[in-house]
Amino acid sequence: MLRAALPILLLFALWEAAVVGLAIDPFYLPSIRVVAAAMQAQSGFYLDAYLVTLAEAALGFAMGGLVGVASALLFTRLPMVKDMVLPIFIVSQTVPVIAFGAIVVLWFGNTLMAKAAIAFYLTFFPVTINTLAGIAAVDARQVALLRSFGAGQGAVMRKLLLPAALPRIFTALRLSASLALAGAIVGEWFGATRGVGAMLLAAMFNEQIVSLWASILVAAAVGGTLFAAVALAERAMVFWREEL
Amino acid sequence: MNRAAILRGILGAVLLIGAWEFCVRFFALPQWILPPPSGILATAWSGRAALLPAAAMTAYEALSGYAIGAVLGVGLAMLLALAAPLRAVLLPMVVAVNSIPVAAYAPLALLWFGTGALSKIIMVAFIVGFTVFLNALDGLTRVDPAAIALLRSFGAGRLRLLWTLRLPAALPSIATGLRISTVRAMIVTLVTEMLGSQLGLGWTIFQAVLLIDFLQVWAAILVASIISLLFFGVVSAIERRVVFWR
Repeated sequence: MLRAALPILLLFALWEAAVVGLAIDPFYLPSIRVVAAAMQAQSGFYLDAYLVTLAEAALGFAMGGLVGVASALLFTRLPMVKDMVLPIFIVSQTVPVIAFGAIVVLWFGNTLMAKAAIAFYLTFFPVTINTLAGIAAVDARQVALLRSFGAGQGAVMRKLLLPAALPRIFTALRLSASLALAGAIVGEWFGATRGVGAMLLAAMFNEQIVSLWASILVAAAVGGTLFAAVALAERAMVFWREEL
Repeated sequence: MNRAAILRGILGAVLLIGAWEFCVRFFALPQWILPPPSGILATAWSGRAALLPAAAMTAYEALSGYAIGAVLGVGLAMLLALAAPLRAVLLPMVVAVNSIPVAAYAPLALLWFGTGALSKIIMVAFIVGFTVFLNALDGLTRVDPAAIALLRSFGAGRLRLLWTLRLPAALPSIATGLRISTVRAMIVTLVTEMLGSQLGLGWTIFQAVLLIDFLQVWAAILVASIISLLFFGVVSAIERRVVFWR
């Protein structure tokens, strides 16, 4: 925990030192004390944005992770379907899919569902691809060994393939956490009134630089929360990994 | 990937587009739910007079930012590869900043640099720089210690080590960073354009959403995806040439 907090504190210290030492124009970078004071003065407002965006991103992220792993397991059972669908998934990683967020908002309107749906698909594709890659990397001899002891397909999946793929799954989840958040924020740009994205937009249009920096910090806090959740889950589930 | 798998992949894509067109026509889906692929293509074609300049602007912003970011990223990584103590302090901070999504600080770029191309180019350069920097640094510092010791024993200095050993050894990870960055450059351009610009596909998408013009949204996404695919394809092809031993 301390190891994660240290660079952030250092960053804040650098920020303050730069503002005071270099006399930076507050239009570019206001003092962190001013930003913190603004956040404290309107703590209810910022807390609401934090919770709204966290709910959207976390819901989509959790669903995307679960459905992603489940579809990868399904594809492993149906290699024919996998060959047909996987290339489309991979191509989807090379096009700016976040732009589809616009269409999702048109479908669902300005609801929690719309942002969660964007976070969902931004999480779903990388998790599926990485889970499949993790399963593909499993030594075939290990599968053969388990089979020779009479393990069925389900047991091989539960006892070997899924645990072996877990490190790759968590790599994908860490990457997707910030994607899911970006999806939720961009989704809020299309007319939402609550949430970090809406706050960012309002601060930009009104040229309120302090409130803009405060919103960025709130976005970072949402991202940090998601990251921490993934890290905790990883520590609990991938307990055999040494470097953790 | 073997031939059968490639064929199945093509079959999958054809089936997907075919099923899409069929469903839209058969169930007579309204345009706002899902326009047919043929309709999207027709809209893109008939609206090409407006889409092409927007696409050119988006491509210009993404490519310029990409080039600047790539040079800065590799350069900074080389500097930090020479300075281990500085690296230990800076790297965790860079990682912390990098975990904040672009969408959160894109509004800053707009306030500072206006709604023209400059704000987009700077945002892209920033993100591409981060991505390339982190990948390059990883490659530059993950060199076999035995190889370093060998070159050292022949009297090679730090710069010599960087040029003859670290840089070639880091090429695969630099290339990976450059490849991932192509898509990020497009995403950042589109996202920053949505916030405000005079021209660009992101702006076209944003305007079309406000006007509830579904076909236009789809057409702009189609064009953006084509640019992104081309960009990714070209960089991957160059990668295969340069990092031929991979």
